[in-house]
Amino acid sequence: MIENLIIGFGVILNPASLLAALAGLVAGIVVGAIPGLTATMAVAILSPFTFFMRPEVGIPFLLAVFKAAIYAGSIPAITIATPGTAAAAATAIDGNALARAGQARRALEMSLYASVAADLMATIGLILLATWLASVALAFGPPEMVMLYLIALLTIGSVAGRSPAKAALSAGVGLLIASIGLDPMSGQTRFTFGSYELSGGIAFIPLLIGLFALAEVFTEAAARPPEPAAVNAIRPGEAALKLAEFLRVTPTIGRSTLIGFGVGVLPGIGAEIACWLSYGLAKRLSKEPELYGRGSLEGVAAAESGNNGACPGDLIPMMVFGIPGDTVTAVLLGAFMAQGLTPGPLLFQKHAALVYGFFAVLIVANVMLLALGLGAIRIARLITRIPRSALSPLVVAVALVGAYAVNSALLDVWIAIAGGVAGYVMRRLGIPIPPMVIAMLVAPGLENALRQSLLLSTDGLAIFVTRPVSGVMVAIVAAALAAMTWAAFRRRAA
Amino acid sequence: MLKRTILCGALGAALLAGPALAQATFPDRPVRLVTPYPPGGATSLHAAIITTVAEPFIGQPMISILRAGGGGVVGATEVARAQADGYTLLLGDPTINSLRPQVENLPFKAEDFIPVARINFAPVVFVAAANAPFTDLAGMIAHARANPDRIVYSSDNVNGLTFTAFEMLKAGANIRMRGVDFGGGGPAMNALLGGNTMAYAGLPAVVGEHIEAGKVKPICVTDVARLARFPNVPTCAEAGQPVQWLFWLGIMAPKGTPQDRIEKLSEGFAKMAQDPGFLTLIGRINSGIQFLDHKAFAEAFEKEKAELRTLYANLRNR
Repeated sequence: MIENLIIGFGVILNPASLLAALAGLVAGIVVGAIPGLTATMAVAILSPFTFFMRPEVGIPFLLAVFKAAIYAGSIPAITIATPGTAAAAATAIDGNALARAGQARRALEMSLYASVAADLMATIGLILLATWLASVALAFGPPEMVMLYLIALLTIGSVAGRSPAKAALSAGVGLLIASIGLDPMSGQTRFTFGSYELSGGIAFIPLLIGLFALAEVFTEAAARPPEPAAVNAIRPGEAALKLAEFLRVTPTIGRSTLIGFGVGVLPGIGAEIACWLSYGLAKRLSKEPELYGRGSLEGVAAAESGNNGACPGDLIPMMVFGIPGDTVTAVLLGAFMAQGLTPGPLLFQKHAALVYGFFAVLIVANVMLLALGLGAIRIARLITRIPRSALSPLVVAVALVGAYAVNSALLDVWIAIAGGVAGYVMRRLGIPIPPMVIAMLVAPGLENALRQSLLLSTDGLAIFVTRPVSGVMVAIVAAALAAMTWAAFRRRAA
Repeated sequence: MLKRTILCGALGAALLAGPALAQATFPDRPVRLVTPYPPGGATSLHAAIITTVAEPFIGQPMISILRAGGGGVVGATEVARAQADGYTLLLGDPTINSLRPQVENLPFKAEDFIPVARINFAPVVFVAAANAPFTDLAGMIAHARANPDRIVYSSDNVNGLTFTAFEMLKAGANIRMRGVDFGGGGPAMNALLGGNTMAYAGLPAVVGEHIEAGKVKPICVTDVARLARFPNVPTCAEAGQPVQWLFWLGIMAPKGTPQDRIEKLSEGFAKMAQDPGFLTLIGRINSGIQFLDHKAFAEAFEKEKAELRTLYANLRNR
């Protein structure tokens, strides 16, 4: 193991590989920070360029793009409440609240440190446990996935706000929106009203951009102009994140990394859900849960370590079985294959030195990302100094262009605008938005896994309790529900 | 003086000829190749390689556009409705171009596309999980007879590649097995490796490594000849059921594209298909080239459409 890693470092510690990683990080940060340009697109567009490079140059470049793009999604989430990637939606809540309170720098730095720390820990997990974890993940069949999605749905309880009824309404609408498009099994169209564009479903990122960024702008436009004093409060030269503040959240980062890594290892579920799972759990266990949603540094740390922890985990099923868990790793799989490195059971035997070289790159790139990220923060902070009156129109433009860029589809622009109006109305009525987002994220996977389970099963729902792993998870879900109900009754009695 | 006159004359001629030439030369701007599936699958891999290599052969850059959604319907519909000028092409396959538009109510018809060039052609391989209670086709059929609906296999989606392969087998052998839809090769293979399902049928590029690693048991190949890579794996006909199902990837243009442009593109792709650099890249993704130009491809396409129509009618009457 250690010898392998030393050989691996030997493979990549050369100017060409390091330069490729650096270039990849810069490209990834730029793309990730632009709303609507996703890590998947960045890797997909750049991967043909690596076909003719040597593997120890081309693959590090793409791995760096992937890693940096996932991190950089948090930059617009914090500065302009526009999640650059779906995985940064949870970050937008507290990160942007902090930015509005004139603390963009602390939020951005927390996001960077939490991301890098989580990525580093998860990379070590990847190196030590890749093969073993991959076999464990295979034991997760459709019934176990159903239970995992149910656990993810339970996090709605943490972000529900004051009224459970309103949260349930929000989640219900989310589930309905997610069912628009083609039935995943029969291919029948659902709620598309004959429109072939809708048969692909409601695009998620444009809707998210509307719900967060545009709704924010609409709310602002409807509000009375702020007092001059309030404007002056947001001044340059804000405080940096203190070491003590970072140390205080290390338990949260550790826990969220574990959640992210575990979720990342499982196929079909990744950073988008990991960030909500870690955010929800962090809030439940927090000493200051009341700060969540209003600018909690801990919340930013939880969301960001959750989604970055998922990144190295994502690579495991792709490298060990040649089966990508999501679209980014699917594109990476293509890049590996074009290099003659067919991911799968034989990869580690045939190309051990290169594989460990890639692991080494992940570690080195993390250190570089820390330096580059600090540079990016200096630039990003400038955005928050733009007066709101000038920033808001810019946000609208960026949001609409971003919504269009995802699929190059005009329909997505309308979806973003509809999302903005819906988000504005929901805020006015006090209906929380996160339950809707979580429901939309969970619904497609949950539906697929549920229907696959029932097809696999010979006696209906029994499959969920007769399989040992699934049975234990049923017990966990039941216990969590019971505990949440008990807590709710006690609050009411008090 | 004379020199200047000649120069001016030549320049003038060039300026006059310019617009006329531009109209005559196709293509004079980049050509878009639409992949109707998400990134990472066999189709997008081929698209990435084709668009990287194609420029010198067709005279303009090619741009790969990934328009996933609706199991390929969204991207294919977009190309079917695009301007028929040869600048928007689809990387098609038998399910989205010949089977599904004939048997489902889709926003486009099989006749909405003109074949331009077939890139490759591969059979699928039936495989069984390492712990499945059968090791060959006869054993699988016997097990299915003895236990109707108890063999659970990984499928992709209705009328998809794997779905159709199993429907052919079930109809031919008159057996009953249950398919679970996983939407695509990756998740389907995952369920097989995890022991959640007992069988699968997929392209050699998807199942090959797992056969070599001994993680799945090869059953048979849906072609008339064995695969060079797996000389010990019988064809399905040899194993007792003449299932023949070949999956191609090919360039399709929207109906109405001028014939001379179809020919020009077909010639360009023909040259590309012999380029050593292109062949190297294709070989690396465990694929091969079985090129057909637009005429031969169109004939094969018509024949296949008719065959699939008959097959589907038989499946439904069962």
